[in-house]
Amino acid sequence: MSDIPWEQVDAVIARWAPRGRAGLLPCLEEVQSITGWLSPEVSRRIAEGLKVPLADVFGVITFYGLLYDRPVGRFVVRVCDDVSCFINGSREIVDACRSYLGVEPGETTPDGLFTLETHPCLGRCERAPFMMVNELEFGPITPQDVPRILEEVRKSGAGQEEEGV
Amino acid sequence: MNTSVLLQRVGQVDPTRLEDYVAHGGFDALRRALLRRPEKVVEEVKASGLVGRGGAAFPTGVKWEAVARESRTPKYVVCNADESEPGTFKDRVLMEGDPFAVLEGMAIAAYATGASEGYIYVRGEYARAYTLLRSAVDQATQAGFLGDAILGSDFSFHVHIYRGAGAYVCGEETALFESIEGKRGQPRQKPPFPTTHGLFGQPTVINNVETLANVPPLILNGAEWFRSLGPEEAPGPKLFSVSGAVNKPGVYEATMDVTLRELIEEYAGGVRDGGKVQAVLVGGAAGTFVGPKDLDVPMSFSGLRRVGASPGSGAVMVVDERVNMWDVLLRIARFFAHESCGKCYPCRLGTQRQLEIVTRMASGALRYKDFLRLQDLHATMRDASLCGLGQTAGNAIISGLKVMGMGMSDD
Repeated sequence: MSDIPWEQVDAVIARWAPRGRAGLLPCLEEVQSITGWLSPEVSRRIAEGLKVPLADVFGVITFYGLLYDRPVGRFVVRVCDDVSCFINGSREIVDACRSYLGVEPGETTPDGLFTLETHPCLGRCERAPFMMVNELEFGPITPQDVPRILEEVRKSGAGQEEEGV
Repeated sequence: MNTSVLLQRVGQVDPTRLEDYVAHGGFDALRRALLRRPEKVVEEVKASGLVGRGGAAFPTGVKWEAVARESRTPKYVVCNADESEPGTFKDRVLMEGDPFAVLEGMAIAAYATGASEGYIYVRGEYARAYTLLRSAVDQATQAGFLGDAILGSDFSFHVHIYRGAGAYVCGEETALFESIEGKRGQPRQKPPFPTTHGLFGQPTVINNVETLANVPPLILNGAEWFRSLGPEEAPGPKLFSVSGAVNKPGVYEATMDVTLRELIEEYAGGVRDGGKVQAVLVGGAAGTFVGPKDLDVPMSFSGLRRVGASPGSGAVMVVDERVNMWDVLLRIARFFAHESCGKCYPCRLGTQRQLEIVTRMASGALRYKDFLRLQDLHATMRDASLCGLGQTAGNAIISGLKVMGMGMSDD
């Protein structure tokens, strides 16, 4: 696991600290966008900075589907598998993702690049079947589109890494 | 009746530019409201007959009046943009296509009720809506439509934007307050109601995105005009999210006397591949399935009540005959079991048991006793759950079985 960029994290915490507990949710969201997930040490730092009991910080993290208390891939693939997307073939989209990534929903690829999730209605029913990769939106899509989309995302991810070095 | 009020600017204006909104009549309603006394604005909204568009259909003017009467300050206006009801995407279309209209509605609500702070709580998965609203708030504040001394008056109103983090229950108003306050998003016991004890325990107006988008045209054109649109019991324009097995899924605007058949066949281009309707889920996962024989009912409260349904958020999900209904019911049962917040036990246990039973039935094991158990769970969750999530968690399952010809007599 890479080192935590504490300077960035502390800057976010400092910005939300004046709001106290009401700053907790946006603070967690912003910190997670930097660190990828909310580890115990990051959570402790937030708890101290916002003066919220650590147990309550864990309570909030574990309540919300988009906050992670475990490492996830750099790209979270969210395939909508709710009613409208199902009617339009979401099961085949999920299958295409499983076979391309070689993981089951809820799992992360061994290279740490992708986490696959099936998701309750994402509110893009007019674009069913629909999926998101982080905040990128794809739909309507066919199972044949899936490898191309994920390949492009993988390449863009490798690019980011090189830029970061 | 087809209307173009709420969607008039969607797709016509650049949602990133305040000037575009103003050039299309934007903030005229706020100007007009500021020339009147706040209680006159409340009266106008009351007289219009506007009811909440989030699903509960509470009269908006009555809510505003209750908050206006409170003397405790600060007061808040909260925009519920946590649109998570399956099959519902109208608020996203509004926020992505006409974000300034939501802000204008909020500002008018704040002026009418004496609120000084506003919060928009946007669903976490709606990244584009969030970005557009952020930019809209910044621009509107810079131009003097929000912030201190709005348009040279002594009215000030500051708007904050929060992002949800993936919890359906946070669309419940008190759970949404808890979430903004930095807690687990679990509903509070009601009463007290938000009008007296809302966000941070203060008097709060909480309205859905679409409800707030109704406010500027209502103020501009007057209550009489608003009442002239659609049925007496539920006047004004309404957005319907039509999806599933239709040729043209999308958000459509009509008055509430539009029928289900019109929405499916005329607005959404009919069932895909010339197929037939097997069932229609009206109102989202919390809603009710109606069968192909009931498509000619109007989407009004009294109309849908005749077939045991209600318009809810205006979601219309069409299931054609190609689809296995068990797979659909299984997804709905799974949804509620996943999204139950766990605070009250009728819902916490009930949604789990419901999922187990529906899973068993979907695998082909149909036992008479399981039908009775589902019926019992439905009644228990409906009567004893703390919030709307549990109260409605059995609706679609029970009504779905009925449409499949496996219905039991009512209660």
